Amino acid sequence: MACDCEKPVTDQNNTPASVSREPDVRETSLFLSEYAVQLFGSGCTCVRLEKNMKRIAASVGMNVEFSILPRHIHITVTKGAEDCTSVVAIREMPISFARITDLSRLSWQMADGKMDFYEARAVLPRVCNCSCVSPWTLTFLVSLANASFCRLFSGDVWAMAVVFVATFIGYMLKRALLSRHIDMRLTVLACSFVSSVTACAGGITGLGLTPEIAVATSVLYLVPGIPFINSFCDLIDRHYICAYGRAMHAIVLVCCLSFGLCAGMALMHVPMF
Amino acid sequence: MVVELFQDALFAAVAAIGFSAISNPPRRAYLYCALIAAAGHSLRFCLMHSAGWHIVLSSLCAAALIGLLAVLFSPHARIPAESALYPALLPMIPGIYAYKTFGALVMCMYYGGEKEFLHYFYLFANNGLTTFFILLAMVVGATIPMFLLPKISFQATRQL
Repeated sequence: MACDCEKPVTDQNNTPASVSREPDVRETSLFLSEYAVQLFGSGCTCVRLEKNMKRIAASVGMNVEFSILPRHIHITVTKGAEDCTSVVAIREMPISFARITDLSRLSWQMADGKMDFYEARAVLPRVCNCSCVSPWTLTFLVSLANASFCRLFSGDVWAMAVVFVATFIGYMLKRALLSRHIDMRLTVLACSFVSSVTACAGGITGLGLTPEIAVATSVLYLVPGIPFINSFCDLIDRHYICAYGRAMHAIVLVCCLSFGLCAGMALMHVPMF
Repeated sequence: MVVELFQDALFAAVAAIGFSAISNPPRRAYLYCALIAAAGHSLRFCLMHSAGWHIVLSSLCAAALIGLLAVLFSPHARIPAESALYPALLPMIPGIYAYKTFGALVMCMYYGGEKEFLHYFYLFANNGLTTFFILLAMVVGATIPMFLLPKISFQATRQL
């Protein structure tokens, strides 16, 4: 993280001495940088990010302006004649609405005077480490959801069963690859390939009357739906660069998904139509 | 018809719960996701099968209902509206149309003859446009209530 300040600060720690005083622009800028990265990485829209950050800055008597670039967030905090600009890299992290909820609540607690700046700074790392659903439960729920999705597209019971198995295997692979820090695009490509091969195998063995629906649905758990919706929200709020960045990210993932699906169907000699 | 409607609502609710789990919402959001998704998908089903509306217009109305319910429920659940809105919207994604679009594109490249090419290009354009307009209707319908009711949407996590 880069920070360019007019006024250097010597005390950045949460010491008893610092608790009794007001935060300066540099401390606020650094806190807001971390807050913005966590909130944005969790899948927050720009309009919420803007409202939350302005709320926090106002709670310490400051103003904040920022711009979101595809890989960085540029933040300037001002207080009278003082100002501090930070540039922070966006980190890839799993989407988490629980984290967005907690971070939004933190901003309101600061705005309503229920928590001071230094308490919030101490709490921030704990907010960001909120727990997730257990991996096996998550895999089961996603598989069940994709099987239900297959039913919504008029797939029969056998197609649902095939989609459940294809999704379960694909999602386990996704977890394994992401835990080894494999690139997201390669992960989507590989998972799409494996899920489509599994679904095609179900069709080849003659399970059910709607194998084409099973194949089409087997990869839909990989569709980046939330980045697409966020992209449009950002577009409405005139954050065009961010909207473009999010849309491009989602489009690249959809392309990887499509190539994986195509390769899987070609390998199994299953026609598209 | 009633059984089909019930099935549609049930599977939409299950899909919403599963897809919401990927985005790690607060535990209390799951119930709202399921209810809102069931309501939205049921409305789309009714509009398409009873009223005979086009899928794009039906999706727009269903997404607007989902967006409105998510915004109105968010203060009760003390969650941001997006936590229930996005997962509830995901079961309406036009996956089969998208699949057919991509499939037709591949076939366009595969076949060199004019007749076959034009046939698959027609399928590509037809399914592609349907996919695009359903997605557009979904996001427009769902996000507009959030922007029309900002006081509710952005104060849901406030604890007074």
